Amino acid sequence: MIPSAPDSRTPRSPGPALELRGITKRFGPTVAVDGLTASVAAGELASFIGPSGCGKTTLLRVIAGFATPDEGTVLLEDRDITRVPPNLRPTAMVFQNYALFPHMTVFENVAYGLSVRRRPASEIRARVADALRLVRLEGLEGRRPHQLSGGQQQRVALARALVLRPRVLLLDEPLSNLDANLRIAMRSEIRRLKDELDLTMVFVTHDQQEAMSISDRMAVMHDGRLVQVGTPQEIYLRPADPFVARFVGQVNMLPAEVITVDDGTLRLRLPDGEAHVHGTGRAWQTGQRVLAVVRPEAVRIRDADAPAPADGPAAGARRAGPASALEGIVEDAEYFGTIVRYVVRLSASQLLVDLPDPRAAVLPRGRRVWVELPEVLHLLPAD
Amino acid sequence: MADLFQAAARPPTAPAPTWRQELRAFLTEPPLVGVTAALVVGVVVFIFLPIAAVLARSLGWGTPDGLTLRHFQEFFSQSYYLRALRNSLVTSSAATAIIMVGGLACALLVTRMRGAWTGLLRLVALLPLLAPPFIFSLALIILGGRRGLIARTLDIEFSIYGWTGVILAQAIAFFPVGYMMCENVLSARGRPLEDAAADLGAGAWTVMRTITLPLAMPGVLKGALLVFVMCLADFANPMMIGRGLPFLATESYLLVVGQQKLELAAVLSVFLIVPALLVFVVHRYLLQERAYTTIGGIGVASEERPLPAAVLIPLVLLALAVVLVIVSTFGVVVATAFTRVFGLDYTFTLEHFESPVGWRALATSLRVSLAAGFAAAIPGIVLAYLVARKPVPARGALEFLTLFGLMVPGTVVGIGYILAFNHPPLLLTGTTAILVISLVARYVGVAVQAGISRLQQIDRSLEEASLDAGATPVTTFVRVVAPLLGSAFLVGLLYAFMSSMITISSLIFLIAPGTRLAAVYVLSLAEQGEYGLAAALSVILIAIVLACTLIIRLVARRFGDQALGM
Repeated sequence: MIPSAPDSRTPRSPGPALELRGITKRFGPTVAVDGLTASVAAGELASFIGPSGCGKTTLLRVIAGFATPDEGTVLLEDRDITRVPPNLRPTAMVFQNYALFPHMTVFENVAYGLSVRRRPASEIRARVADALRLVRLEGLEGRRPHQLSGGQQQRVALARALVLRPRVLLLDEPLSNLDANLRIAMRSEIRRLKDELDLTMVFVTHDQQEAMSISDRMAVMHDGRLVQVGTPQEIYLRPADPFVARFVGQVNMLPAEVITVDDGTLRLRLPDGEAHVHGTGRAWQTGQRVLAVVRPEAVRIRDADAPAPADGPAAGARRAGPASALEGIVEDAEYFGTIVRYVVRLSASQLLVDLPDPRAAVLPRGRRVWVELPEVLHLLPAD
Repeated sequence: MADLFQAAARPPTAPAPTWRQELRAFLTEPPLVGVTAALVVGVVVFIFLPIAAVLARSLGWGTPDGLTLRHFQEFFSQSYYLRALRNSLVTSSAATAIIMVGGLACALLVTRMRGAWTGLLRLVALLPLLAPPFIFSLALIILGGRRGLIARTLDIEFSIYGWTGVILAQAIAFFPVGYMMCENVLSARGRPLEDAAADLGAGAWTVMRTITLPLAMPGVLKGALLVFVMCLADFANPMMIGRGLPFLATESYLLVVGQQKLELAAVLSVFLIVPALLVFVVHRYLLQERAYTTIGGIGVASEERPLPAAVLIPLVLLALAVVLVIVSTFGVVVATAFTRVFGLDYTFTLEHFESPVGWRALATSLRVSLAAGFAAAIPGIVLAYLVARKPVPARGALEFLTLFGLMVPGTVVGIGYILAFNHPPLLLTGTTAILVISLVARYVGVAVQAGISRLQQIDRSLEEASLDAGATPVTTFVRVVAPLLGSAFLVGLLYAFMSSMITISSLIFLIAPGTRLAAVYVLSLAEQGEYGLAAALSVILIAIVLACTLIIRLVARRFGDQALGM
């Protein structure tokens, strides 16, 4: 075993690394976390996301021991740690503002956890050096936090937590104070560390892109409850409800009614026409009212006045099988470089359409277009 | 008042004009030049000159001997004056130590614990702000004097006069200053760091030892310095309860009044000015908050983790001692004021409030202090405007001088005024005017600071809009700026007023024989053993200070101005 290897590399108990059972936390009359149950597998990077005030940070503080839940149990490798004070928990946290000790050097900051545990000086030196090497900060041991850039401070905070070889590493919006480029670099850094050290991580953020890019699994929270747990793809493509659908990205929510069901192929009546699709979500029945979740980048758009190619929407509309083309007018177009985002006015509603790789001329306002919905549509029941 | 020593953070402004450009701009506004000239003359003559006169006189300047270090030699060769120096240093250090330990304990409890009792504790810790500092000596004398409550009830020889009394009285009087500094450094900012330390495995004591206290230390030391200088400058307490022992402030008074030895008094004053000046400069210009503030930042309100008993119990015991002492001193003064003879006859009476001499002294005090309040607030606000907004040359130095008046011990101002205004063309000694002017010199800084901090909240574009609409600079000031500065004016006025009501140090030098001022009268009543009358007059003064403080707080809250909140 390499000296710097975290304890999480030692053989694990079969159960999940972290388990939350029925956690409820109230602050006065407000319920911050409401009967939440979840588990994190060993070696997994799980993120809790949600809008501010959804209870995700409170949940993290419950796991770290800064808040005691009113109800529920926190299990760490099958051991009940609900009432264990933070300083005795085998978790380590990277704080949103890093919380670096300003009166200590980088070395002293990273060494802090070891020195309060009274480890021998030689061990402290070796482990701090290892940790600093892991986060690529060799040579900055003698600096003070205010002499470091934001990214470097972030790395010190990471090293300070990693050096303790925590069973679970907790990260509270650790990237929110960095600028956009640095944030992307730190994301892959965190993934690299996770793989290198085989760490279990719990990550909290309000940034859905960050969560999707970094997580093995993500849990979407709303008003203190879990709304959906799944891989980033599952969450994005098959959201459990309109809230999740909207929270994780731009989306068109089209109300529709199931007209016929034929072996997974549905005929939907939309306000603006009909669509033949494969519906996911559940088994749908004739007559049901649904909401179709249509991501803008899944819709194709074509200039209706341009000469139609062989597989043009007109042809597509005629073609048998699930495909659905609707006619509309460009109401607005925004050019982002990587995409053009069109707002297309249909006969009764409007649709966001992202056209990727927009090298052709941007269609002007008022242009007549065909938009084609994807063949597979995720449907939600309309309440 | 502690906040005044923090230079307010000036928002960065676009490229600063050179001094040439500024001077040219300055000279294009004749009214501005006129007003500035008048104010500069006032500040120089009434603040700078007297203090310079003290320094000059200590070096023998203006005496037949000419420039000499003889007076310093005399000071150092006489063990009596060295004892004064030693007594002042010892009592001030001891009082400072007591204040900082008690202040830290109370501040830790207030900032780290929850519950209504912490609010109450905070209130008690700040309570001495509401009283003239000398009432604590009065209370201690009533309790522990040679024929005080303790000696009589226990039937023992007991006297609190001397070091013990001075230390205790100062420890109570200046407790709020030390407490506030501690509370400042301990409040919310450090909390995320403490959480981080706990997360990394540190127990409660370790967090306290490695994080909380080291982070608080710079601020606590800063507070200790300030408290120390205030104790050193304190006149009334050593005068009342230090009986028989020489102290720097009191001895310089006796040298002037009793022996006419102005040179030696000036030498003693130097030992009061130098630390005050040092602390002032250090506070305002050197010890600006360093990088500490930028890190840590906001954090989610952390759940209270109760301090463990090992930490909590000693803190609570210390806080209880503080509360007991503060409350009992107040209680003793109030009880003495309303009972026939405290300690012997507890019959309720208002007879102590029926002294015509006392009421006359109070009326004189009110007149002088009101005049001082207005006379400080008006030029103070104009000065603030000039310093904050106008291209006045050397405005930094001007502001410095107004603050300097605040910082210099009252005894020094008193001696300085005697030296500077005892002969024509400025023969002012013995008049009421010199009382008012000396008070203005001491307290004008508060109005200046209040005005500057208010001006920082008011966007320059308001004035630009007025000028743009065709108003002259003078009209702009009168019609646009002055009304917006009303709150700062009120704060400056009230502060100068209430400080003037309760100060003794500078006035005792300047007061004409036969004139009586309330605070000074309390001192002589206490000396004569007229505790009932002294306490009654003190209670009235407390009520006045309380009223002024409440109004200032209200104004500060209404205008969201923290700097005014004292």
